[in-house]
Amino acid sequence: MNAWTGVILRVDLSEGTIKREPLNVQDAHDYVGARGLGTKYFCDEVDPKVEPLSPENNLIFMTGPLTGTGAASAGRYEVVAKAPLTGTIGAANAGGYFGPELKYAGYDGIIFEKASKKPVYLYINDDTVELRDASTLWGKTVYETTDSLNEECGESFRIACIGPPGENGCLFAGVLNDKHRAAGRGGLGAVMGVKKLKAVVVRGTGPATVARPEQFFDALTDARAKLKAHPVGGTGLAALGTQVLVNIINESGALPTRNWRDGSVFPEADATGGEALAEKYLVKNKGCFGCSIDCGRVTKVSDGPFKSSGEGPEYEAGWAYGAACGVSDLAAICKANFLCNEYGMDPITMGSTIACAMELSEMGAIPESDIGFALRFGDAHAIVDLTEATAKGEGFGKTLALGSYRMAEKYGHPELSMSVKKQEMPAYDGRALQGMALEYATSNRGGCHVRGYLTSPEVLGVPVKVDPLETEGKPALLKLFQDLTALIDSAGLCLFTTFGLGLPEIAAQYREAVGTDETDEEILLKGERVWNLEKHFNIAAGVEKDTLPPRLLREKLPSGPAAGRVAELYSMLGEYYELRGWNAEGVPTPEKDLSLGIKSVGQ
Amino acid sequence: MNVKFFATYRDVTRVKQTSIPAQPDIRAMLALLAERYGATMRAMLYTPDGTGIGENAIILVNGRNVQHLGNMDTPLSESDTICVFPMVAGG
Repeated sequence: MNAWTGVILRVDLSEGTIKREPLNVQDAHDYVGARGLGTKYFCDEVDPKVEPLSPENNLIFMTGPLTGTGAASAGRYEVVAKAPLTGTIGAANAGGYFGPELKYAGYDGIIFEKASKKPVYLYINDDTVELRDASTLWGKTVYETTDSLNEECGESFRIACIGPPGENGCLFAGVLNDKHRAAGRGGLGAVMGVKKLKAVVVRGTGPATVARPEQFFDALTDARAKLKAHPVGGTGLAALGTQVLVNIINESGALPTRNWRDGSVFPEADATGGEALAEKYLVKNKGCFGCSIDCGRVTKVSDGPFKSSGEGPEYEAGWAYGAACGVSDLAAICKANFLCNEYGMDPITMGSTIACAMELSEMGAIPESDIGFALRFGDAHAIVDLTEATAKGEGFGKTLALGSYRMAEKYGHPELSMSVKKQEMPAYDGRALQGMALEYATSNRGGCHVRGYLTSPEVLGVPVKVDPLETEGKPALLKLFQDLTALIDSAGLCLFTTFGLGLPEIAAQYREAVGTDETDEEILLKGERVWNLEKHFNIAAGVEKDTLPPRLLREKLPSGPAAGRVAELYSMLGEYYELRGWNAEGVPTPEKDLSLGIKSVGQ
Repeated sequence: MNVKFFATYRDVTRVKQTSIPAQPDIRAMLALLAERYGATMRAMLYTPDGTGIGENAIILVNGRNVQHLGNMDTPLSESDTICVFPMVAGG
């Protein structure tokens, strides 16, 4: 079959049954794969009003048509469910080697329904698929679980699993594969925990096929050459990783500092940047399946109170524990990030929630007795200790596990949660980067940087140069970036391929893999279809309107090149809705639905 | 005026920042940096034909990218802080 195995596994965890069913070929055509196809299956089968942490919330693992092929950086798969943190459609993808292995075993995706009574893991060894007891794994960390399963099943098996936060309902628990790769945002790990599904273990020996091998080889050869020749995709990310962004974002006046309270210039930023990471703690860089970018950081803090080792931090995680918490101790930032990987939590939400707690504590809104000590910005030990407490579900960690919105609401100040749709915004201040403000507000999974990534044109000038302080032209640019990133996610590619590749190269690989003669524009339209379906789900789920925290809308930046600016969201939002073919309330019109072939969700 | 270097530019300059005499514009400032730090710096800063700002150079004046100020003709004053980055990315 063209780029697909043609088989979906359907696992009823309540009954303990496993069925093989044919892939819905029409949906695969219309929604590409991974994020888009997983969302389509989800929308067709689950009530949008479902309680996220109930057995009725399905959990879907889905590959894309390019996953596991020789396309550039095609190692990704998507995890889809209704997200516990946001109540939106939850879709998070990860690299590593798990996704390709699933396809090599002969499966395009897995749909998990209901919940098991006791902990289980799904074992896949080509044609052998069975649920196995995971009682002895329950309570173990991601690292311990991965090591135990590799010992039990074999070193060649790839493993995706949850740690204790996923078991205990932490609203930002992630699903981790290959130990360090995370489908991190939105709390999908907690959905897995409710199902008592500790892990998915997979080994496959089959091929990843494509429709037109010779043309596909030409397309991927062209794409890989362009990626290698690009200063970012070729050498930049390998040399300094994503944490190198700290300084340029800070110097651009867009690095949110101390829960976004103190503007977006962090004086100690350089001590936390990619340059310092490379100088002090980098052991080596590494890549995911089939990737030449090699952005991953293997890092080690050799001595001192934060002695530890692991991978990362990536830029957004480093920011959340760094500037957002007012912490300049890079060793502490590394250790806190390592703990998130080890236990299975989203470090962006974790760090941002601690930052919010720091502000609430400093203003006296959280009693010292609740936390156990006087929590203040800049406390390097606190970011580590509170991360560990959250991971283990101890003390104030139980409150932090709710995420910043619910925590701040509990203490009477929900407005100080720097989140959109209850998910924390990452490391780019929308007051300094106006396009990012619109991106956060309209993201279908709440505050997020990878549902578009206008930072690239606004700061880096890639692929076009736009002024970050201007609003003109941003709605059209954002729509294009949102549709394109939806396509890339759905194809099974890494978003970093855009640092070297554009729609023509991505569409060419897709076209030859699946065997279609659709134009670039017709292929991009599939990304728009995915975006609109996600929007429909959120509307049917009753998700709140597109807006930003009041701090971004009302509090002017005190310094830097954007001094005096707020996020000018409402000068862009109406035009954005119009360009999308939505009404003034942000609802897709019947005409738009008809043009995309979308039927209603949840009716 | 103060010039700050980042990422791979630090490998060339061996310093994080330096003071330079006041320059009238970015064109003059780049010429001074190329003169001071040599051929590697020149190759990093300029387009291959030597007339424009290279693809692998991001130059900020007081936090604003010169792409939005006037590129080579961006005027400078003595109190300005200039940052020089290679093309970097994250996400």
